[in-house]
Amino acid sequence: MNIRCAKPEDLMAMQHCNLLCLPENYQMKYYFYHGLTWPQLSYVAEDDKGNIVGYVLAKMEEPESGEDSKRGHITSLAVKRSYRRLGLAQKLMNQASKAMVECFEAQYVSLHVRKSNRAALNLYTNTLKFKIIEIEPKYYADGEDAYAMRRDLGEFTSTKADNLENQENNQDNNKIHYRESGTANHHDHSNHDGHCC
Amino acid sequence: MPSSDPLPPKESALFRKLMKCYEMKQYKNGLKLAKQILSNPKYTEHGETLAMKGLTLNGLGRREEAYKYVRLGLRNDLRSHVCWHVYGLLQRSDKKYDEAIKCYRNALKWEKDNLQILKDLSLLQIQMRDLEGYKETRHHLFKLRPSQHASWIGFAMSYHLLGDLEMANSILDAFNQSQTSIEPNDYRHSELLLYQNQILVEAGKYQEALEHLIKYENQMVDKLAVQEAMGDLYIKIGQQSKAVPIFEELIDRNPENTLYYSQFFLAKQISDADQKLSAFKKFQETYPRAMCPKRLPLDVATGDAFQTVLDNYLRRGLRKGVPPLFVNVRSLHTQPEKVAVMEKLILQYYENLTRSGHFSREDADKNLPVEPASAVVWTLLFLAQHYDYKRETDKALEYINAAIEHTPTLIELFITKGRIYKHAGDPVEAYMWLDEAQSMDTADRYINSKCAKYMLRANLIKEAEDICGKFTREGVSAMENLNEMQCMWFQTECALAYQRMERWGESLKKCHEVDRHFAEIIEDQFDFHTYCMRKMTMRAYVGLLRLEDVLRRHPFYFKAAKCAIEVYIRLYDKPLKSEETIEEIDTENLPPSELKKLRSKQRKAKKKAELESAQAAQAQIKREQHQKSKQQANQEADPEAPQLDELIPEKLERPDDPLEKAIEFLKPLQQLAKERIETHLLAFELYSRKSKILLMIQSIKRALAIDAGHPQVHSCIVRLIRALPTLTKDLNVAVKTVVDKAVKELIGTKSAQQLNDEFIAKHSSSIMHLYEAARIMYELDAGKQEAAIKLITSYDVAKLKLEDATKIFESLRDGIFGNCEDAVKNYKETCHKHFKYARLFRDNVEETTTEKTTEEGSDAGNHVEKATADL
Repeated sequence: MNIRCAKPEDLMAMQHCNLLCLPENYQMKYYFYHGLTWPQLSYVAEDDKGNIVGYVLAKMEEPESGEDSKRGHITSLAVKRSYRRLGLAQKLMNQASKAMVECFEAQYVSLHVRKSNRAALNLYTNTLKFKIIEIEPKYYADGEDAYAMRRDLGEFTSTKADNLENQENNQDNNKIHYRESGTANHHDHSNHDGHCC
Repeated sequence: MPSSDPLPPKESALFRKLMKCYEMKQYKNGLKLAKQILSNPKYTEHGETLAMKGLTLNGLGRREEAYKYVRLGLRNDLRSHVCWHVYGLLQRSDKKYDEAIKCYRNALKWEKDNLQILKDLSLLQIQMRDLEGYKETRHHLFKLRPSQHASWIGFAMSYHLLGDLEMANSILDAFNQSQTSIEPNDYRHSELLLYQNQILVEAGKYQEALEHLIKYENQMVDKLAVQEAMGDLYIKIGQQSKAVPIFEELIDRNPENTLYYSQFFLAKQISDADQKLSAFKKFQETYPRAMCPKRLPLDVATGDAFQTVLDNYLRRGLRKGVPPLFVNVRSLHTQPEKVAVMEKLILQYYENLTRSGHFSREDADKNLPVEPASAVVWTLLFLAQHYDYKRETDKALEYINAAIEHTPTLIELFITKGRIYKHAGDPVEAYMWLDEAQSMDTADRYINSKCAKYMLRANLIKEAEDICGKFTREGVSAMENLNEMQCMWFQTECALAYQRMERWGESLKKCHEVDRHFAEIIEDQFDFHTYCMRKMTMRAYVGLLRLEDVLRRHPFYFKAAKCAIEVYIRLYDKPLKSEETIEEIDTENLPPSELKKLRSKQRKAKKKAELESAQAAQAQIKREQHQKSKQQANQEADPEAPQLDELIPEKLERPDDPLEKAIEFLKPLQQLAKERIETHLLAFELYSRKSKILLMIQSIKRALAIDAGHPQVHSCIVRLIRALPTLTKDLNVAVKTVVDKAVKELIGTKSAQQLNDEFIAKHSSSIMHLYEAARIMYELDAGKQEAAIKLITSYDVAKLKLEDATKIFESLRDGIFGNCEDAVKNYKETCHKHFKYARLFRDNVEETTTEKTTEEGSDAGNHVEKATADL
């Protein structure tokens, strides 16, 4: 097992892994969009033969007006069922989060997860210390609601104290409210996040 | 240059507005403006206005009219750069890039410094990989706009892509010097510095690259890339000790990266296994949750040390219940002595777990606490996977059944049971176990996908589609959604299933769909040419360009292309009758039993065809509706990409020139998959049918260069010799000399017979060599049928792999060796004894499949009703 930052040539294998594991799928161009805008943020896990068995596809959000804290976003995270219980999802997430802080000064990272996806919810809440921010009704194409979740990335910052302070201020000043929409960027995709772990 | 046909002020203002409207995508307003200009009697023929009208119409999706007006406009004003530019834009939107490039070049003849045209030209040049042209255009842009960042970056990159790293580096250096006041955490600046560093590394200037990194380290935000590059460079220039702390930090950051450990050992200059093991031990202590420090020692250790580390590794995994425990050690199977240790240990665990609940007798004697009850299931699963990997089906099944009995709720067990049957040659039994597994967790798409794949392996395409449909978007058929989402694993498996079922048109449709995905993914680059220059993510961008250059090297493409080529060859060898005459099969010479079979087959085919045409009609209507609504939605949007021809199976399986179609699939393989011998074997098949003697020789030579001992190359050579007299008959002297020389180099002066005899003597222990030799033996002399068959059937079946036995059996059955019913029957029995689970060698399996098809038929019937109801 090997975990490393994704390269352009991994993106097709990530799409393949996504199609095997998750109902939220994207055309290749959307993977290119991630890999060419934020090349540091996506990670893959590969087996001995170099097959991709898990990945995290991540990006930075455009700051909303009146908001000056920077946030990363997990577009998609999947680990093949046959490679579960190795903690791959957690390890992938942590690598991506670290890069968000380092390269893009992210203060927190957000994601959406299906209300019914207990395994993922458990990972995000208990292992990765994500908090539920709100419920997005009918977020998914099939009508299911999503939990919008957020994790503070203070622990990945080297100058911890300063940033924690900043984040507290931000929390006071800004209500976190955002929506993923299918037309958020110029690439034509249903843009809903998918997770399995 | 001013327009050669200037408009007066009023019209000129209108024309500027027209341009604006086009930019703003206000096409309808644009048309009105064009009309206003053209309604002035003096300017009804005004070239630039007519051209712009055409371009505006294209924006509305009225492509034919667009071409008409643009061409008319151009004809009226051939010296206008606007007209040429517009024509170029139209061709570009039609994806005719070569034509568009010509238009832009013409436009530049009349307006050589037009920035927009130059930029547009450079995009097409990079898309088409006209690297020289790209460099010239970027140079031109650079001279025109030296103050723009993108001018510098594009200019430098054009040299980088041409391999002139020196020049690329000095441009970036000069640019860097001109940069003042760098903000902290400037991502784009950081990316550019790292891009320059990559160029230095590619140029082999390690010392310089290292100094560059050190100098600008604090301006680079991608700390990971900096450290990885720095550590690597210290090793490359021989200052290993400086790399040690870097890789220690990297391991600390990500202890799951295998490369960091090997780099760490290089830095430490450790090559001794014991030293590596003790280093891993330290890492294990520092990073107790990391997998790599526990797994990697298994590759390094030998002898007793190996047994110790493996023992720890396995116990831990079994105690915890780690599903991928086996796949993570599977790669050790290349080393027989390690496999033996593994087998010994795992059997010992099983024995002791069942006896005392411990992994070993020692543990029991020491009265250690017993292992968790689940440990025995995971041990059984491991045993099943282990024996399955060794193709010891009976043992594998025994263990997996015991495991299922112990814990009937563990899905992984059912997946493994299915896989055992798949490997043993029973795809039907295999899919049923996967279906069982799938039904136990319907919320998991992974198990759903696996189930669908197994169904396709069992040729159950409809079932597979239905299963996939549980996770595809509602409102569209699963097939359509999977195609839209570029789900290539499904489409390649589907193509192969259709190929097995001899539904050639359907199979080709899937192959072409996959090919179109690749074309689309290549097209996807286009937007990134400008985008990345702005985002400055040049390393990733160059990575994308390099990826796209070899995109069709991808295994999905290879699979689809191979399948398509094989199908086209089959359609060339035995073309299908035209659709009308299909019913008139020669039934006179068939025995009654065969006739009955045929009739029933025909009935089924007819039913299927009816069903399919009903479905097709429905799909057609849906598509049209979809198209209509799409067009409505796109009235004011970008012009649609050119519509591709619809892929219709009945047409695809009756191609005018199947070999040419096949060659279209072959070409990318010859260019990008030339290291695979199958490429050249397929090429030989095609060229021999086209009687292209030089290309046949070329294919053989390339195949020999990859694997001189490959059995099929022998067949190719003999077929070449046999075809020589006819092929060289009408050749001109010069070509004949070349051919003679090449053939002599390949085989000397031996006859086909001699070659084959020598081949048999040399390869008597390899069944696949004997198989090829036997085929030739029979082809050379049909009187040697018996000897040829004996040559392969007398080979000890116990030493065969299932795939080899299958190939031999099918060749006998399909008449490669002429009529030989007894031999088929006997061989089937022999194989059945050895491969008792393989469906192919079992009797009475026909009936189960027939039942299956009738079921399918009734299902299909329901489907028709539903389809008509929907109409």
